[in-house]
This record gives sequence, C-alpha cells and structure tokens, in this order.
Amino acid sequence: MLHVKDLTAAIDGKTILNGLDFDVAAGEVHAIMGPNGSGKSTFAHSLAGRDGYEITGTATLDGANLLEMEPEQRAAAGVFLGFQYPVEIPGVNNMYFLRTALNSVRRARGEEEISAREFLKVAKDAMDVVEMKQDFLDRAVNAGFSGGEKKRNEILQMALMQPRLAILDETDSGLDIDALRVIAGGVNALRGPERSMIVITHYQRLLDYIKPDFVHVLVDGRIVKSGDYTLALHLEDHGYADFVNHDLDEAPKRPLAGAPS
Amino acid sequence: MTATAPAVDPAVAGRTTALEWVDSNGFPTKRDEAWRYAPHRVLAELSFGPPVALAASVPDIDALIPDLGGPRIVVINGVVDVERSVLTGSAGLHLSSLLEARSAQPDRLTPHFAFGDDQVSDAYMALNLAFGGDGAVLRVDDGVALEAPIHIVDLEVPDESRNASCIGVVIELGVRSSATVVETRIGVGADFGGSNIRTTITLGDEATLEHVLLQDVPTSHVHLSNISVHQGAHSTFKARSFNLGAAYGRVAYRVDLAGPGAHADLSGLFFGFGDQVLDQQINVIHSAENCTSRQSFRGVLDDQSTGIFNGGIDVRPGADGADAVQSNKNLILSDRAEINTQPRLEILADEVACKHGATVGQLDDTAMYYMRSRGIPANEARRLLINGFADQVVDEVGIEAVRSWLIQRLGHRDV
Repeated sequence: MLHVKDLTAAIDGKTILNGLDFDVAAGEVHAIMGPNGSGKSTFAHSLAGRDGYEITGTATLDGANLLEMEPEQRAAAGVFLGFQYPVEIPGVNNMYFLRTALNSVRRARGEEEISAREFLKVAKDAMDVVEMKQDFLDRAVNAGFSGGEKKRNEILQMALMQPRLAILDETDSGLDIDALRVIAGGVNALRGPERSMIVITHYQRLLDYIKPDFVHVLVDGRIVKSGDYTLALHLEDHGYADFVNHDLDEAPKRPLAGAPS
Repeated sequence: MTATAPAVDPAVAGRTTALEWVDSNGFPTKRDEAWRYAPHRVLAELSFGPPVALAASVPDIDALIPDLGGPRIVVINGVVDVERSVLTGSAGLHLSSLLEARSAQPDRLTPHFAFGDDQVSDAYMALNLAFGGDGAVLRVDDGVALEAPIHIVDLEVPDESRNASCIGVVIELGVRSSATVVETRIGVGADFGGSNIRTTITLGDEATLEHVLLQDVPTSHVHLSNISVHQGAHSTFKARSFNLGAAYGRVAYRVDLAGPGAHADLSGLFFGFGDQVLDQQINVIHSAENCTSRQSFRGVLDDQSTGIFNGGIDVRPGADGADAVQSNKNLILSDRAEINTQPRLEILADEVACKHGATVGQLDDTAMYYMRSRGIPANEARRLLINGFADQVVDEVGIEAVRSWLIQRLGHRDV
C-alpha cells in the first residue's frame, strides 16, 4: 500500500531524512519512535505535502506517486495527517470546515457531495467515537480549544475522512491519561483491514493503548531498527542510546533483550 | 419666556454661512491629517448642489439591500422617495423626511445644522450643511424599546445634471429608549458620482442604539459618511460599519461620550479590491467621567487597494476613570495593497485605562497547509481564511437579515 524508498528531505540545505525506506501493507499499524530531532515529524509532513522541503526518492500510495501531488490531492488519495500542533483558525466554523473538507475530497474522487443534514448525522457518529459534544461543531476550528480538545478534533477529522493511510504525529503529546484513553479508543475504533496507520510517538505510553503491528526506530533520518511491539518495551527501558552513535558515544551498548533481531 | 420668534429653517439659514466657510477655508488637502490618503483629484470632480429628483427610472432597490421589513426611508439622489418608503412607524417612533421635519419642527433640527468649528471639520461637511436639505429624521420617545430595525436607504444615480448628493440623517433616542437603525448606501451605474451623508445621533440618558452602516456604492462612485454622536449618561452606542464599495469610501465617526458612564462600541470591516481606497476616521471623545469605549476595526486589502485606519481616543480633562480600547487588524492579500494605520491618543485626565494595538498580516501559511491537508483546495482554503477573518466583524451585527446579506455580499458561506 504505502511504499517509501530512499526518501531524503532537506530544509535550507540541511538534510533531515537521509535515505528512508518504509513499507506499510493494508490494515497494518506501524509505530515510529525516535529521539527528538530524528526526523519523525518531517517524515509525516513530507508524506502530507508541506511546502519547503527539498525531497528526493519515492513515496507511493496504492501505486500513486504522492510526491508529485499537492496536499489536497494527497488527502483525496487517502492520506490523513493528524497534526502534533493542530492549527487554530479563528472565524472558521468547525462544522463548516469539516464539511468543506469532506466534500472537497468527495468532489476530487468524483463522489457525490454530502448535504448539511446528512453531514450532521455522519458527524454525530464520528463525535461519539471521540466522546465530543455537539457544541464542538459550532466553535471556530481549534480556536481556544484545550490541548486534549485539539487532539480529539484531529481524530474526529480522521473519523470523517475515513483515510486509507492515517499518520498520527505525536498525538499523545500534551495529553493526560483520560484524554489519551479517549483518543486511543477513537484510533482503535478506526482500525480496519483496508486502513493503515503510522503512529509517531516519542514515548512508549501511547503504544499501551494503540498496539502496533510493527515498531521502527528512526535516528538521523533513517530507520535503524525494526521489530514488533517488544521493541517499544525495550526502548522504554533503555532509551535510544543503543541507536544513537553521536553525542552519546560513551553510552554502553546493550543487547536488545526481547527484541527480535 | 417671551413670545417665540417665527421659526427659521436652519438649513436655509445656514446655507450662506456654510458656503462662505468653504470659500474662505477651501477643500482639504494631503496636508490635512484626516485627508492624507484621500484621492483629492477625484474628489475635485464632484459637483455638489441642491438636490434634483431623479429623472431616469428607478432601479430595483430591493435587489441591492437587505430585506429588513419594517419601517424605512428611501432617499434617491438626495430626495426622499415617499412611494418606496414605509413611514408607518410604531408607537413611540416618529419617522419623517428631513424636508418635512424642517417645516414642522425646525427648532429641533438646529443641532444638526449648527455651524461651529466643533461641527464643521472640513469643506465636505460644510457642503452637506448647505445642500443636504432632505434625508431622514427618526425620533424615539422616552422609554420606548423598538423591536424592528429601521432602514434608511440612500440610492445614488448620477445623471448629466449633477453627480453628487448631500443628505442629512437625524436620529434622536429619548431617555431609556432603544432602537436599531441600518443605513444602507448604494448606487447604480458605471458613471462617476458621489454621495455625502451626514448623520447626527443624539442618545438620551440610558438609551441604546445599534447603528449599522452598509456602504456598498459602485466603485465608480465616491462616498463620504460623517457620523456625529452625542451620548447621554449611561447610554450605549454600538456602531457596525461595513465600508465595502466606492473608489473612495470614507467613514468618519465623531463620538462624544458626554454623559457619565456612557459606552461606545465601534466595530467595522473594510474590504478593498482593485484601486479602492477605504478610509476610516474615528474620533472617540471621553468628556465625562467613567465612560468606556471600544474600537475594533478589521481591514482586508487585495490588489492595489488602500486602507486607512486613523483612530483617535481623546480623554478630556475631568473625564476620569475612562476605559478605552482600540484595535485594528489587517489582512493584506497582495504585495501591491497598502494599509495606513495610526492610533492617536490624547489623555488629559486621571485614572485612565487606555489600550491600543494594530496588526498587519498575510494569510497564515500553516493554516493554509492544514486546510489543504484536509483536502480543501488552495483557492477554497484561501477563501475560508479570508472570510473567517472578516466574519468576526459580521458576527457582531445583531440583525440576522443584515448578517446574511453581508455573507452573500462578501461571497461567503453557502449556508
């Protein structure tokens, strides 16, 4: 489904992704972990189409070349990025925004647009998934939302867009345990055989709730280790020192207990 | 009291004085702070004179204005069109043409036509006093709360005989009364023309007025609005100004918080395209104790349009406890567009809280990307962001029919 080969990304000449290979099959949930500055968010945004990167390599979704598409075309192709820092848009009504997004994608796919009435019904179901109240729709997009509300709004959008590939960038950051449970519940409800997910996180905590099929360690813009869920447990105990050679040279190399080799 | 002298029509009495004032003082120039960015060469093309009724057929006004129902006065080329007006008021509302009021109760109009340096700030206002003999007079009795908004519509149709009209609007609210007034200024045709409208508002103690100004004349026209407000104790004046049309659209407020505890809340939107110059000249004067004022104006400027916000807060000696806030936020959509924003503060009293701020920004790239990542095409995302910025002023209008008219006019939502 998603096929990434030798992906590099640089900003102002500074290389951030450095020949990244990554494959995701339909229905799989992959976690990407890594220290700060390893390129996790850059990977997410280079798939979603943010401006300002110099990119080489390939990234295809169901055979379509994502790197040639505008962000809105990628959304129509089925890419969804849950932002680490959802953007506040004062003055733009949340419901109107969500319906415009949904109908834009439908239009791009040659599907029929959804009416205001139908939308309300669909939105209500989606809101139940993330335990949101109706008045949420009447507010401006993310404006004045708490950290937890913003993240729930991201998952609500994902539930509405029904993406083929969902990338969740540090969705757990800034959440208390109750909010984390709700968010994870929403994500788990959206797992399915036709939908793949990439869960980017710094901490293993989120993965207690969203159990990934695979865990990857990203360091210096490259996947340096892949394994199953137990790799995350290892990282929780030992940190990233095993995989980082610079700055931590004196850190002892430990065997990866429990991690598949 | 001795026998009253025969009533003199103040409009007639003041005409000569006003024209003499123009002769001796001349027209404003770029050196006048309040007229620095005005297109003086264009303004010089205006030919003012006594109103002449429109000879051509009247266009369909209702297609151009919000439908408010209720009472209204329609003025066409400076003359009240009785046929298109709905002068049947309700209990406690007195609505008439200015021309009629001049003969019925001339004394009560003296303040509107009064001639002094405090009233006359420039030659255009003097011309308005000289030639603005017709228009609308609206009075609300003490203690009366009017539900239905009152609509004052001005239509400008330039023809060969003249190209500019002067109109007077007088609004008086009695003690503890409340009303909503919408003034809609429109015009037709691609010919050059202009309108010069002076509104004088008097609010009795504890009265509340929401005053909406919809300036949407064609871009072949010039529009000059001058709104002068005198507020009694604990009265509230809410101004909602939408400066949208005209080659040069000028909206000038002079609000005098004359009674203690009075509150003025002015907000506005100017939205320029092409070569438009949209000018807001605001003067809020705190003359009594414990008054509060708020100025909140937003500008959106595209193409090579120019916006001006010249906002004054004047706290006079003795107006202690004044609380004044001013904000002007601007969104620039083109590198050829221009905004000139200037706060003017003069504070001569004690215990004054005064805040002001201005911002000039472009469309937020991060927000654009966020919306596009949700599948919204770039042009649609841009539209949503611009409208989102402007709608925050639209949302301040209390009348649903005006809000939906504005949303249509600004090409906004489809809901």
